[in-house]
Amino acid sequence: MMGRNGYRNRVELLQGTLDMLILRTLQWGPAHGYGIVQALRTQSGEALQVETGSLYPALHRLERQGWVKSKWKQSEANQRARYYSITAAGKKQLAEDLSRWEQMVAVMGGILKATPAE
Amino acid sequence: MGWLFEKRKNELDEEIRAHMALDVADRMSRGESRAQAEAGAASDFGNAALVQDVTHESWRWRRLERFANDLRYALRSLRRSAGFSITVIATLAVGVGGTCAMFSVVDGVLLRPLPFKAPGSLVEIRESGKKGPLGYGSPYLDIDQWRQRSRAFSQIAFYGNDTRRASFLEGSAGTMHVSSAAVSANLFDLLGVHPALGRGFSARDAGGSVKADDEHSLLLSDAVWRANYGADPAIVGKTVVMNGESFRVIGVMPRSFTFPFTGANTNGMPLVWKALVLKGEDALRTHNGAPRYDALGRLRDGVTLATAEAELKVFQPDVVKSYSEARDREIANSISLRRYTDSLVDGDVRKALFALMGASALLWLIACLNAASLMWARALVRRRELAVRSALGASRWQIVEYLLMEGVLLSGCASLLGLGLAAGILKLFEHGLEAQYKIHESLMLNLPVLGALLALTVVGALLISAWPTLAATRASIDTALRQGSPQQGMGKAQHRMRAVLVVAEIALSLTLLVGCGLLLRTIYALKHVPLGFRTEHIVVANMTIPSYRFAGRDMTTALYQPLVERVKRLPGVENATLLTEVPLGKTFRMIFTFAPQGNSADAVRRGAMEAQFRAVGPEMQQVFGFQMLRGRFFNSGDTATSQAVVVVNRAFVRAYFGDDRDPGKILGEDLVGFGKDRRSVVVGVLDDERQVSVAESSQPEMEVCIPQITPESMFYKAAEGMSMDLAVRSARSLTLVTPELREALRAASPDFSASTFSTMDQVVEDSFGNQNLAAHLLEIFGGSALLLCLAGIYGLLSYLVAQRRQEIGVRIALGAQQWNVMSLILRQAGWMLAAGLGIGLGLAYLGTSALRTLLYGVKAGDPWTVCIVSLVLLVGGIAASLVPARRAALVDPTEALRAE
Repeated sequence: MMGRNGYRNRVELLQGTLDMLILRTLQWGPAHGYGIVQALRTQSGEALQVETGSLYPALHRLERQGWVKSKWKQSEANQRARYYSITAAGKKQLAEDLSRWEQMVAVMGGILKATPAE
Repeated sequence: MGWLFEKRKNELDEEIRAHMALDVADRMSRGESRAQAEAGAASDFGNAALVQDVTHESWRWRRLERFANDLRYALRSLRRSAGFSITVIATLAVGVGGTCAMFSVVDGVLLRPLPFKAPGSLVEIRESGKKGPLGYGSPYLDIDQWRQRSRAFSQIAFYGNDTRRASFLEGSAGTMHVSSAAVSANLFDLLGVHPALGRGFSARDAGGSVKADDEHSLLLSDAVWRANYGADPAIVGKTVVMNGESFRVIGVMPRSFTFPFTGANTNGMPLVWKALVLKGEDALRTHNGAPRYDALGRLRDGVTLATAEAELKVFQPDVVKSYSEARDREIANSISLRRYTDSLVDGDVRKALFALMGASALLWLIACLNAASLMWARALVRRRELAVRSALGASRWQIVEYLLMEGVLLSGCASLLGLGLAAGILKLFEHGLEAQYKIHESLMLNLPVLGALLALTVVGALLISAWPTLAATRASIDTALRQGSPQQGMGKAQHRMRAVLVVAEIALSLTLLVGCGLLLRTIYALKHVPLGFRTEHIVVANMTIPSYRFAGRDMTTALYQPLVERVKRLPGVENATLLTEVPLGKTFRMIFTFAPQGNSADAVRRGAMEAQFRAVGPEMQQVFGFQMLRGRFFNSGDTATSQAVVVVNRAFVRAYFGDDRDPGKILGEDLVGFGKDRRSVVVGVLDDERQVSVAESSQPEMEVCIPQITPESMFYKAAEGMSMDLAVRSARSLTLVTPELREALRAASPDFSASTFSTMDQVVEDSFGNQNLAAHLLEIFGGSALLLCLAGIYGLLSYLVAQRRQEIGVRIALGAQQWNVMSLILRQAGWMLAAGLGIGLGLAYLGTSALRTLLYGVKAGDPWTVCIVSLVLLVGGIAASLVPARRAALVDPTEALRAE
């Protein structure tokens, strides 16, 4: 019981940003779960390792919301995999998330970078 | 449902495997060996099972799935103990079936929503006086006075009350029997209902009566419109023929609308509405001069029934001043109001229905107690199973959910079965329900009935699973697990709990059985009332005659006499007679009031006379075997040209000619005139007979002879135009005679083909149908209750014997005699029965007083009935406990001890 709750808490922390990162990645084109992990890792310069325990619940949640849709397809390596692609609603959501994110970065940046006036 | 989850799960599984495979392929392409790659991929991925679980949680139907799981477990565990499940389901079904059947009757009779606007403020206005409220309406002039003077009513409408009589409406589908009510122009407005097609009647003035232009206008009900005119949308403006007269259809009323509301008032016929146009006689103030109408008012907002009644009472004496006869003023000098909704169902019927509803609720409660007791026993046996579940991590809430699920399942199955039982009960009582309450539908699965069923199911589920659930949440795991066998360590308190349930069952059963006993005694008493006539071997045909076809002809000679002669010649027919209504019949009743002549004391006394009126054939005495007290009955010598004669009964003499020591002194009296210059004399006095109701003593009655009635006679229209019964006595089986009679009637005239047939025995039985129905229902309820309660006693004692096997073994090993052991068990049964009967006597005393209106010839607290019923229950209870007691006495000590 305890373990599962702890796990969930970490997912909780990432949630807002993880959804945004997934949607962003899918804007480049449809991808499977493994592909998304790899893409995020390369793009972050190996800094970000997304936990599968967060990724899959997030993907299923996004699908339920109607922001992504999925389809079983053959991969380049001839492996059947589930490909996720972003929907129109997902794109709209992403645009909203991005603008809110930028606002937040600007606000946070303004506060954090300000030199104390002594 | 399960496969859906499975598919989803498999997909997730495959998705995870694909993820790993892709990772492995990537790593191998970077030069790792397969083993290295697989290990790396696995460690990168983390705990696959956990990922699956967490993803799983994010699915919307997670809760639903858990619900489905509970359902599956519950089903499995109930199937494993099929005997137990079937017992519980059958027990509950008996209770639900009875209650559901009764509720659908109550719903059909009492709870029907009226198809009018705000039916609560509709009030029936009746004149009242020294004879109590008058049942036959009021003249227009009085109604108009109320309208002008009263502030309490926003509107007062009126309508003709001869709606029981059939009218003959010709249409595309042949001639249809309809009830044609004459209504005032403002009635539909007052009811807040307007024609779906066309228009309503136009009012002549504020008084509400209809303009003379509309005299031949007709409004159709939806039913008539559909059945007789194929729902023709262009019906408005067309001409139709009713009773030989032409009417122009001016509108069709909406589908659900019906007025008068009860089927009893219209003999179940569909409706059309005629215009109530006032005539010259509406202005008369002489005795019986003006036609009478039923008046219906709508109370203004905020006015109570009592205020309105008080207001009308103030000026009613003034209203009746204009009557020419003092007697008419006396019987109508006050006002009685009642809500229209209350006028629809007789107070006695209402009480009887509620009593029966209560009885069925008792049966349901007994069934629930019995099922709860069974569930309780099972919960004790299953304590370990539940303890294991909670030791393995099931939360308390999950166990509660699971136990409730079991309860809901059992209760739900029981409700389905109960619904079938209810339909069966209603089918069984179809005839009685139709005769008593004019309910034609069988089981109506409408919203209220389904709602009641749902409520019964949910409450039943809660009642039967409450105790096991409580016990489960309180039980501590380790004590339950530590106990070796499930039979050990039962607290005394828990047994006592079950015993209390059984005691309650006994008490409630006694109440039902006493009610049943009282009604059976009532039926017995009713069946043994001396009726004053013979009922066996008589077939009765109730004929509805289109009298308009015989306008200008003498129906007596043209129609009735030839018919009787023909029927008398049928094989096996001993005799046949015509009469306006058979004794105890309910289709037609006529009360005759005498017109006073002159002002002498004798005339005034005669003016107060009132009698049941019957026109009969001279063969009536042979068919029914009435006893003559004095004088003679009619005979073939009484014809249209001979001296007019009447026969009265003993009650008539007693009521209006003083004491009946010499009833013969009425012979030769001149009571009524048949027409101008044709006075009659009394030629005979009939002995008392029950002609109105079996439970009521003989009412004053006067009979006239049908062959003497000519179209000029004053009774001609009333006696022959409406309804006529034909009673046939035959030695042959009545089931054989009836079809022949039907054929003979059809051959005589196609107009007779709609006649209905019955036997005199059936007519008598229907006349106390209310009691009959109640008695039969209570037989079923009481019988079921008795069985359930005996099963409860048996079940508990068997369980106790099984529990105490070892103890009993030890006792026997130490020298206890068989009798000692048996008395151990019987003592337990004894105190349960004693306590149950004690409480039950009190309950029965309170409960059966609700039946008072149904009882005849026996009192609510009748000691004999109570004693006999208690004895039955006592003997049954002891018999039910003898089996387990005997089983205890036969316990083999060595075997019982070895099991330790």
